[in-house]
Formats: sequence, structure tokens, C-alpha cells
Amino acid sequence: MTPVHFSFSSAFILGLMGLTFHRTHLLSALLCLEGMMLSLFIALALWTLQFEMTGFSAAPMLLLAFSACEASAGLALLVATARTHGTDRLQNLNLLQC
Amino acid sequence: MHPTTLILSSSLILVIAILIYPLLTTLNPNPQDQKWAITHVKTSVKIAFLVSLLPLMIFLDQGTETIITNWHWMNTAPFDINISFKFDHYSIIFTPIALYVTWSILEFASWYMHSDPLMNRFFKYLLLFLVAMILLVSANNMFQLFIGWEGVGIMSFLLIGWWYGRADANTAALQAVLYNRVGDIGLIMAMAWLAMNLNSWEIQQIFFLSKNFDMTLPLIGLILAATGKSAQFGLHPWLPSAMEGPTPVSALLHSSTMVVAGIFLLIRLHPLMENNNIALTTCLCLGALTTLFTAACALTQNDIKKIVAFSTSSQLGLMMVTIGLNQPQLAFLHICTHAFFKAMLFLCSGSIIHSLNDEQDIRKMGGLQNLMPMTSTCLTIGSLALTGTPFLAGFFSKDAIIEALNTSHLNAWALILTLIATSFTAVYSFRVVYFVTMGTPRFLPLSPINENNPSVINPIKRLAWGSIIAGLIITSSFLPSKTPIMSMPLTLKLAALLVTIIGLLTALELTAMTNKQFKITPTIPPHHFSNMLGYFPAIIHRLTPKLNLSLGQSIATQLIDQTWFEATGPKGVSSLQVKMAKTVSDAQQGMIKTYLTIFLLTTTIAILLTMI
Repeated sequence: MTPVHFSFSSAFILGLMGLTFHRTHLLSALLCLEGMMLSLFIALALWTLQFEMTGFSAAPMLLLAFSACEASAGLALLVATARTHGTDRLQNLNLLQC
Repeated sequence: MHPTTLILSSSLILVIAILIYPLLTTLNPNPQDQKWAITHVKTSVKIAFLVSLLPLMIFLDQGTETIITNWHWMNTAPFDINISFKFDHYSIIFTPIALYVTWSILEFASWYMHSDPLMNRFFKYLLLFLVAMILLVSANNMFQLFIGWEGVGIMSFLLIGWWYGRADANTAALQAVLYNRVGDIGLIMAMAWLAMNLNSWEIQQIFFLSKNFDMTLPLIGLILAATGKSAQFGLHPWLPSAMEGPTPVSALLHSSTMVVAGIFLLIRLHPLMENNNIALTTCLCLGALTTLFTAACALTQNDIKKIVAFSTSSQLGLMMVTIGLNQPQLAFLHICTHAFFKAMLFLCSGSIIHSLNDEQDIRKMGGLQNLMPMTSTCLTIGSLALTGTPFLAGFFSKDAIIEALNTSHLNAWALILTLIATSFTAVYSFRVVYFVTMGTPRFLPLSPINENNPSVINPIKRLAWGSIIAGLIITSSFLPSKTPIMSMPLTLKLAALLVTIIGLLTALELTAMTNKQFKITPTIPPHHFSNMLGYFPAIIHRLTPKLNLSLGQSIATQLIDQTWFEATGPKGVSSLQVKMAKTVSDAQQGMIKTYLTIFLLTTTIAILLTMI
């Protein structure tokens, strides 16, 4: 695979692993989510350039807009967690655990 | 140019200019001198009256009518609006009469309002009202008529609330404006219909084109306008309440000139109504109902001004009946004769009120026959003219109306109501005369009874002469355009007189019974019905606002606060989502890291499988 292809794929996979293997803070999971979104943004932009489909140029912007919404939703949840539990440590989110 | 037309047109414009001149002198920033009201306003009205006699004499001699179109004012897309005065026989006769009555009232007002520091302003308002009224009666297009219409309405508001420190006066003024506004809706609707369908507001064009259209809708609008302005039943409570204003205001506005504006509108636009039976029947029945209802209310009132106000309302109902009979000229004749004796009745009331130190309750008057002979005599003359005593002013118009009623093909109910109302007229007029002038005095001994001021006596005397001879002069000078039916059975011919005499005899009997105890307890319900004005104001003035306010409250509380905000708006969305989230999260355990690790494992295995 081309170096560019390799770079954003590895960025995506590393972000995904960071999201799944996060240890303490919810905020680190959200940051990894942002990294994944960034790599997808680069992937879509490269798609447009490589395949020379100018009609596809709006796709990265759309992705960016939606990822901003999603990031803000995630941050709102973070703030709500901090308000109710006092911290964003994941071991505190255990109300439903039996 | 022919001298007749030159004299006619120029003297009519001169009349209006003479009336406007004192108003222009008030634009001067220097303060007016104390006697401005007498030197400028009263003199201008007197001169305007004398000048307006010129066109009247020319009209009597040669029958000339004129339309004076002065100035192209504006241009709405389909048609033009000009300043245009129509002086036909209605305006040429009405203008001198209105000016004569106003002259007398202004002279009286200079005595009545003598101690008022704002007397100059009072006279200015009266003059402004007079100008608006002259504009109304001489208007040749609906726009100018509307200007005059609104002008008299606003001046009525300002003058009724003259003593604005008094809460009752403010309420009465507001009542007058609101009821007139409801009528104005009808006038505006009629004007809009005319502008849309007949493409003009000029009266001549309206008459010409109306033959092709069904005029029911604008006529209903015009009848609504007349109901509001002329206090017909349904929109009548403002007229008795308007007695809160000073007596000159009641004499000028609410007896002779403003309240006849509605009837005058119908008279002016009568050719539209001639063939429309719905409109004619509406006028007839509405007028008959008004005249009986207000005459019945007048029977038990104790305030002298209110009795005269209800009497005015009753006579306005009679004028409406006459229009419904297709006799606009008789209605106009009644307007002219009514102006004289009604204004005189109000001036006599004002003289009595001031003499008894602002006492308006007839139960506290009495025996004024010897103490105020001139006033009580003129009061009696006015009352006799009102009831239609033969050969006084009221007889010529009222008797002609009753004869026309009896010999027309019309609604029997309207006829009966009008005849009963005529008998009630005699009853309450006699009641006024009895309580005020006869018997023994019931007022305080130290009352400043003084009618020796010429400013009081001369106007009353002038109007008394008018009440006596005006009917004769007007009927002998002008030919009717519709042939009156002259031959009828004797009973019908004497119907008005018989009914009046029956009313008078009944009233005399009742008076003789007052000092013998005929019944132990009085019959309460009819008395209260009459005294409380048929409970009409008590119900309507409370019910309508209550309904509106409770509608507003239920919209704000139940519709907006409880429904939109709580149940269907943002909170409704959130409550729905919370229910669903609670149901779903019961199944989750909360081991997030484990879930995400397994997710990564599954994704890796799937990718490796595809690559191998």
C-alpha cells in the first residue's frame, strides 16, 4: 500500500485501539475518537484527489461538521458525568453493575 | 358667471372659512385673551349663521343646489379623491339650523362654563366639532364624510371627558369611543366594498352604478355605522352615559348634531336603499325596537339629563323607522325640528342645574314654576313640542311620520312599538315637567336661583321661537319629493294625537295616585327593568370583557404553558426519550472497557479474515 494509505490506516487503527484500551479517563477516549475522525477526514480528502471525483469534494466538510457535533455531544456527556460523579474516571460509571 | 351661482358657492365656502378662522388664531404662540371664546368663537358662529341664510334664501327662491369641487387631493390607483362639497337641499337647510342652534348654545356656554379656567379650550373644542359636523353633512364623497365622521367622534370623546378628574366621565368617554368604533367598522366595510366594486367614493357615481349591483352588504355596513353613531339598540348605552359631559356638550353633540350623523348618512345614501327590502326592514325594526326600549328606560330615570338623553335616543329610533319607511325627507324634517326643542330642553336643564347648585336629580327639584318662570315655561314648550302638540315644531314632523306609518304596507309589530313609544314620550315628558316645575320645592332653601343673566335667557328664548315656528316654516317652504297619502280614516289620522293623550292621561292618573297609597308594596321587576336600562349595560359591559379575558388566560395558561411547553414541545421530547433510555439501559451492565475491547477484537478478526 502507498505510504499515505498506510499512514491514515495506522492512525485510524491506533486511535481505535486507544479508544478500546483506555485506562482511566473518559477524556482520553474522546480524544482518540477525535483522532479517528481526523484520519477519516484525510482518507476522504485523498479519495477525492486520487480518484479525481470533484463531486466528492464536499464530503470531508460534511464529515468535519458531523464530527464537531459528535464531539460536542461527547463533551456534554463528559461534563454531565463530572457534575454527577465528581470526576470522569471510568471506574465511577458503575451504577448499573451488578 | 351667473350671480346666483356665484353668490351661492362663495357664501357657502365663506361659511366654512368663517368657522375655521378662530381655530387658526389659536395657532398663535401668544396666549389668547380671556374673552377670546366670546369675541372670536361666538361671533364667528353668529356671522356664519347669518351668511348661511343667503344660500338658504337662494335655495328657497330658485331651488338651486350646488356641488363645489375644489382640489384634487390624492389619487389611489383606481380612482381620485377630491375635496368636494355637496350643498343639496339637505345640507343647505341643515347648515343654518345647526349654526343657529350652535350660536345659542355657545352663548349659553359662556354663562354655564363661566367659572372654568379652560373655557377658551372648551369653545375651541366645540368649534372644532362644528367644523367636523359641517364637513360631514356637506361631503360629496365618502372620504370627506369619513373625515367628518371621525372628527365628530373624537371631539365627542374629548368633550364628554371634559372633567377628566371624574372617573365616571372618563368611563363614559371611553364608552362613547368604543361603541362608535364598532359602528365605524360598518362604515369602513361599506367604503371598502364601494371602492372595490363601484370604483369610486363620489356619491354621484355611487348612485349611478348601484343599480347594477346587489347592495345588501354595504347597506348592512351603513346601518351598522348608523347604529353606532345614532345609538340604536345594541350600541346605545353610550348616549345616556355621555351625559357626564357639561350641559352645552350634551345640548350640541348629543341632541342636535352628532347623533343625527348616522341618520344623516342613511338619508344621504338613501337612493341605494330604496329598492333593498332587507335594508329597509332592518331599519324599520331596529328603529322601532330602539324607540320603545329607550322610551321605556326613560320612564323611571331620576336624572334630568338622562331622561332627555333617552328622549333623544327614542326620537333617533323614530328617525330610523322613517328611513325604513322609505321617507328620507320626513326623517330629515324630524332632524331639523328635533334640533330646536331638544337643544332647548338641554339648555333649560342646564339653567336649572346651575340654579340649584349642581342638582340633577328631579326628585330634589320642584315648584320652579314660580322661581324660574322663563326656564320652566320654555321647558314646558319644549316638552309639548317633543310630544307632538299640534302646530308646534314637533307636530309637523312627528305627525307626518305617524301618518306615513299608518298608511304604509309595513310590519305591524314595528307600528305597534312606535305607537307605544309615542305614548311613553308623553308620559316621561309630563314626568319631567311635573317633578321639576310643579308641586312644592324639594331642594335646599339657599339655592342660588337666578335666571336673570341675558346669556342664559336669550338663547333659550331664541330656541323657544325656533321650537314654535320652525316646523311651520320648513314644511311650508319645501315640497316633499314623495307624495304623502292625504286621505285616511279619521282614527288613523288622529292616531298620534290619541296615543299621546292616552299617555298623558295615564301619567296624570298615576300622579294623582302618588299621594294615596294605592298598593302596599310596589311592583319591583318592571321598575328595576326600566331603571337599570333593561340590564343591558350591566350584562354586556361585564360579560364581554370577562369572556375575552378568560379566553386570553386560557390561551396563555392552558395552550402555551401547559401544552406547548410541557407536553408537546422540548419537554415532551425529553420525557419520551428518557422513558426509552430507561428501558434500554436496564439491559446494560456498564462494563465499558470490556465491551470496547471485544469490539476491537471482533473488528481485527474480521479484517484478518478478509485479508487471508
